[in-house]
Formats: sequence, structure tokens, C-alpha cells
Amino acid sequence: MSTKLNGNRVGVEELIYESCMLMDERNWNGFLGLCDDGFEYMLTAYSPEIKKDMTFLDHDRKELKDLFDLLPKHNTDRSPFTRNATVYKVDYDDAKKQANVVSAFQIFKTTLDGGRTGLFAVGKYYDTVSLGGAKPTLVKRHVKLDTRDLAVGTHYPF
Amino acid sequence: MSRNSEQWTQKPNLPTTHYSDPIIYSDPVIFEEEKEKIFKNTWLLASHESELPNPHDFRTYDHPGGTKLVIVRGDDMKIRTFINMCPHRGNLLVYEPSGNSKNLVCIFHQWAFNAKGDCVDIPREKEGYQDRVGKSDVALREVRTETAFGGFVWVNLDDNCVPLKEYIAGALDYMLPELETEPLETMWYYQGTINTNWKLIHDTNSEFYHDYLHYHNRITGMTDPKTGYWTRKMKAFPNGHAQVGTMEASYEQYQGGGHSKLGWPNLPAGWKLVDLYPCITFNLRNSVLRIDTYIPLSANKMYFEFRAMGLKSDTPEIRRQRQKDGAVIWSPWGRNLHEDLIASEGQTIAMAKDSEKMYFIAAREEGAGCQDEIALRHYFTEWDKRMGRSHNDPMAKSNDPMAKSVARTVAA
Repeated sequence: MSTKLNGNRVGVEELIYESCMLMDERNWNGFLGLCDDGFEYMLTAYSPEIKKDMTFLDHDRKELKDLFDLLPKHNTDRSPFTRNATVYKVDYDDAKKQANVVSAFQIFKTTLDGGRTGLFAVGKYYDTVSLGGAKPTLVKRHVKLDTRDLAVGTHYPF
Repeated sequence: MSRNSEQWTQKPNLPTTHYSDPIIYSDPVIFEEEKEKIFKNTWLLASHESELPNPHDFRTYDHPGGTKLVIVRGDDMKIRTFINMCPHRGNLLVYEPSGNSKNLVCIFHQWAFNAKGDCVDIPREKEGYQDRVGKSDVALREVRTETAFGGFVWVNLDDNCVPLKEYIAGALDYMLPELETEPLETMWYYQGTINTNWKLIHDTNSEFYHDYLHYHNRITGMTDPKTGYWTRKMKAFPNGHAQVGTMEASYEQYQGGGHSKLGWPNLPAGWKLVDLYPCITFNLRNSVLRIDTYIPLSANKMYFEFRAMGLKSDTPEIRRQRQKDGAVIWSPWGRNLHEDLIASEGQTIAMAKDSEKMYFIAAREEGAGCQDEIALRHYFTEWDKRMGRSHNDPMAKSNDPMAKSVARTVAA
């Protein structure tokens, strides 16, 4: 582990947590502001029924922005989500000036009508974070879901 | 002008075929009767051959009639289905949704069964049963199974049912060039448990008037003159099935949709859809074949099974693109799927059993065009026939002994 980069652990953790807060607020531009120009986003779940990974979202930065921009045009369940993440592991790659970060998350949904909160999904974020700039930025996020039954689903990325 | 209670509950001034009493979507007696009269004697799509590619592979299926099944591929590569229950003490034989095992061995007392359903081992058989019970007495119960129409695995609990082809009655013929041109492969299988009646989602799939629900479909179909959307025709087939004619799948108007021009063999940029009674939909759109099947849990709860099919020959790059195409509209994050499902749950909330009665209208007549509700009416004609009830007046006194028996059971 790099001693030079080790001091950035706090910055890395704050980046992950801020990404959750901005997504909870549905501040999509704010979220993209945390991301590198070459940002890649993927969301998958493993199906034991067919023994395969299923890719449910697979976007570069532009495609993700298009998705965000289209959200207001669709009928959607607008119940808020609350993301609760815990950074488990930060591995540094000195040569690339990057960190590979594993975080567990739980996502809770609170109904608009009545305010009941229930667990919606659990999984892990596998993030690649650039440490070469003034502040850490997200280069890649791979969301691996453990939950597969998502009821009516959602339009909002995790 | 708004309506008062009397006006609101008045039957519509329409033919009785054109409206339903919403009690058919919420009544537990009707639901129990549907299990007996519909699910236990119709062909249902339970799996796909690609989910059991090797000898001794197995896959489970929750039959909507209430019976747990296990589908197994034998040494002879034949796919058979059995009730997933040990005939000894009624334990589940298989707990996991898929796997591979030379024999299905009950964890409870280690009774073992081969892929043909024969019992091949009973521990300490002679010591306990002498000659009163033997392996030949306790084979598994096999269920009628056919693998057809693109390699899908179909099951029917009724030993005396008609052959699958006769049941499908030609409804899938116009999709056969796409289903059978080369082997398919399941690339997604996922479930979603939702609070709705199982028929409501199938209703949605049976009419395209609900494209007003979907921003995506409004701008890529209805308002795009290139697609041929308005010339598609609905066609009814025997046994409650229906299909809608093809159109061009053009996604240029949906910015950022991520759709490719990958297409499908024999259908480079098209859309075909077939609804099969009672709750199966084949939906081939651009580069992905989506298969919907529904597993009811009660009158107002069910889970759907969604399969997205690709081609077995897909390279990793093509498979990635095919998944990406499907994800835009049909994954749990898909633009259209979420919209369909929140609408179905909304119907169930509003039409709950104790809600003030209204009549569910299916009266659009547009020369069998895609926004004609002919398929819905055709579906309910079949429902009436099988149930011995009328969808527009389902609680009329029934002389059917099964209906009475089910009603007594539910009341108890």
C-alpha cells in the first residue's frame, strides 16, 4: 500500500458517501460532477437460476446524462431512496494514481404516500477512483446487486 | 359533469363483451377457482432448454396451480418434469433454483431418484419395508412436458391435455422464423413480486392503447410515421391467444436510448408480439426476445418472470449490445417495464374488493388495429368459457359444483 496515497483514504470515502447523498437528492448533475470525463457505469446482478450475470445498466458518461435528462418525461414512482454505504476496502494503484474501492450498500425506499420505509435492495459498489487530480473523482462504478426481486423496479440508478 | 353513486355503478351502455366487473381481479374465490379451472389444465412456459444444457441439469418451477415442479435433463438429453416432492414424507426434493445432480436425493431420508423419475435408492429398504414398499412403488410423478417453439420448456399438469401444438393453435406461427432460425439462450431471468392481480398485466400486454403510458413508445411508435405503427393488426386465435402484426422498430426519436441496429435474424428492425392464454407473452423487439410469464400468489399478489433471450451464437460483444438494447425498456430500470408495473399496482389499489364498484371498459373498436381492444375481449371470452362465469357478471349464481366447492373452501 502506498504511503503517499494512503492519506487519501478519507477523500476516497467522502467521494463515495457524497455520491450517495447526491443520488439520494436526485442531484444528477451534482453526481456527474464527481465523475471523470471517461466515466463508465454498469449495474449487474448474478442470476442463480441461469448462472449468468445480467447487465441491467451499461452506460458511458454521455449515455448516463441522457438517461438522467429523460427521467422527468417518464411516469415513475418518485418515492425517495436513501443509500446507506460503508466503505469496506481501498486498494491503491500507485502507477495509475487510482484506488479500487469496495463498498457495501443498502437502499431504502420511503413511500411518498404515508412515509413507510422499507429495504429496497442491497449490493456492493466496485468503484475506480482517480487520485491524480485536485480531488478524487469516479472513473468507473460497477454496481453489483444481491437483490434481484425489485418489485415494480425503478428508473433511478443506484 | 361528475356522476353520483347510481350513475357510477350503472352498467355501461355497451355489449356485455365490452366491459368487466372488476371483482374478477380481487375476489379470492374466483382466484382459487382460476387455479383449478385454468392453470391446472393449460400449457405453461416453465423454462428454456438453454437453462438446462447438460445431462442431469435441473431447474425448478413454481406452477401457478400451486404445485412445485422440477425440470430435469436426462442422460438421453430429454427434458422431463416432475413434482418437486419426495413421495416418502412430502419434502422438497430440490431446494435450489438450478443445479446439476446425477440423482435427485431427498435430504430428509436420502431417497434418491434418477432423471427419469425412477426411485434408485431407499436406505435400509428391506429392513424397514420388507417387501411391502419398494423402489418400483415410489417413482416420481411425471408431468406432461414438451420442448418447442424456440426451445422453450412447456408443462401441463393435466395428463389428458391436448398436445402443445394443438393448444397454441397457430398463434406462434408468424414468429416461428425468428424463434427457430437458430438456438436461443436465456440472457436474463428475473422475478418481481408485485401487488396486483395476475390478469391485469396480461391485459396490459393485450392492448396497445396503453402506449400513452409510455413516453418511449409514444415517440418511437405512435408519432413516428416511418414505423407502420397504425397499420398493425390484432388477430385472435383459438384458446384465447392473440397476436399483433409487425412494425418497424425505429428509435431515432428517443435521444440517448442506447438502442443499436443489431436486430434479429429474419427481423432486422421489427417488432412482433404474441399473447398466449392464460399469461404468457412473446415480445420480439429489435434485438431482444422478451418472454413474460406470471405466477399468481393470491388474488392481488403475484410475481412475474421475465426472460430476455439472445442467440446462443452471440459473441461477447454482441451479447453486451443485446443486453444494452433490452435494458433501455425492459430491465428493472427499463423505461417501459416500470411504467407498466406501477399502472398495474395502481389498478389493484383503486379496484380493491371493497372499493366502490365500477365497470372495467374494453370497448375500443378500430378495425382490429393495434389500439383496438379486441384481444382483451377475446381473452375474456376464453376466461368465461373456462370458468363457467361471465366476466361482466361473475357473481351470478353458479350451478357449477366446483365453483361451489371452491367457495366453501375459501370461506372456511
